[in-house]
Amino acid sequence: MIRLSLNKMNLRYIVTGILLTSLLVLSVLFIKQQKAHELATQPKVLPSVSYYPVPKSMGPDSAPIKMIEYSDFQCPSCRFATEVLHQLLAAYPGKIQLVYHHYPLTGHPWSAYAHQAAECMHIQGKFWPYHDMLYKNQREWAAMPEPPVSKLVEYAEGCGANMELFSNCMADPAVTSGIYAEKNEGTLRQVNATPTFFMGDKRYVGPRELKERGENDIRRVLGLPELSFSAPPDPQVDQTPKPPTAVPGGE
Amino acid sequence: MKRESSYKILFLGRLLIGLIFAYSGYTKLVEPVENFQAAIAAYEIIPYVFIPWIARLIPWIEFIFGVFVIVGYLTRISAAMLAAMSWSFVMVIALTWLMTGSIPADCGCFGEGSFVHFPAYQIFILDVISTLIGIRLCLMRSHPLSLDALLGK
Repeated sequence: MIRLSLNKMNLRYIVTGILLTSLLVLSVLFIKQQKAHELATQPKVLPSVSYYPVPKSMGPDSAPIKMIEYSDFQCPSCRFATEVLHQLLAAYPGKIQLVYHHYPLTGHPWSAYAHQAAECMHIQGKFWPYHDMLYKNQREWAAMPEPPVSKLVEYAEGCGANMELFSNCMADPAVTSGIYAEKNEGTLRQVNATPTFFMGDKRYVGPRELKERGENDIRRVLGLPELSFSAPPDPQVDQTPKPPTAVPGGE
Repeated sequence: MKRESSYKILFLGRLLIGLIFAYSGYTKLVEPVENFQAAIAAYEIIPYVFIPWIARLIPWIEFIFGVFVIVGYLTRISAAMLAAMSWSFVMVIALTWLMTGSIPADCGCFGEGSFVHFPAYQIFILDVISTLIGIRLCLMRSHPLSLDALLGK
């Protein structure tokens, strides 16, 4: 009789545990599925997202790999990621097209100034030299106690900008709106850390992810043998080597 | 009487570590796993090959055992699990600091999309406190206001 009641108690205990765990797991899976559905039904590009609707791209349009970057000029990780990007672009010449998107983080007080300046340089066709200069000198301007406008102007002059156009653009709120529209577009894609990269639907956050996982994905698309690294297989991705064709889903 | 009042404090501690872990796990689970992978990758001492596995496993453990501690199911085992996790985070932060001379600016503990962000040194202190609470809860034979008590365990 005592044994029977103990068994009943154990059974009740086990059933409670199973029910509780199932409830927790199913709730999370349901919320994840809802989020994934929202993400899938959202447009990849918002209409009129940018003030100056020419993409900030590097690499040929015919490149089989389209990579999108959401980045912040004041973020140290983004500076390291730029080094990785340069290595990848040099290692696979003509195979990667990189498109830069603004993602100024609110925690970085001078980001907004730097992104405004970079967009103004983009309008003058000098985005990439300015981009490299901002990262190269990041420690200098990011550490300033007041808005680093003088430094940003100095770098723009160093890149050969038309300074009258640059000054007018720096005060233009429409440019700022365009930058934050790009950021919102990233947020809709669940970007909330920088740098975040996309190749098709695959996401890489941070320089180490880009280097360790991203490079093998690039090699897979190009039909090259993978470098030695074993991550768990992504069930949604076909693991067989593919011929060098475009990655779907790029902007 | 003294025991009752000391359990009131411990009960608050139980709720605290349960909520911290449950929230921490939940925010990571509903975000893209790559965000948490990047947060772990910031701790350079962890070999990258393990990171995708750790990033998929840890949030579930945090979330499920966090809720278990709150509701008081398998309270002693769940508290021991959370104490072990807290201690492992303490070790990772300490070893990262010793071996690389720096620690990440953000601990990555609550997912990138969370409204809570702690620098690694603050989370180090919080993890030490969580370890101590977890050990204390684990050493207690019975837990009032728990499913364990309700189910007669």
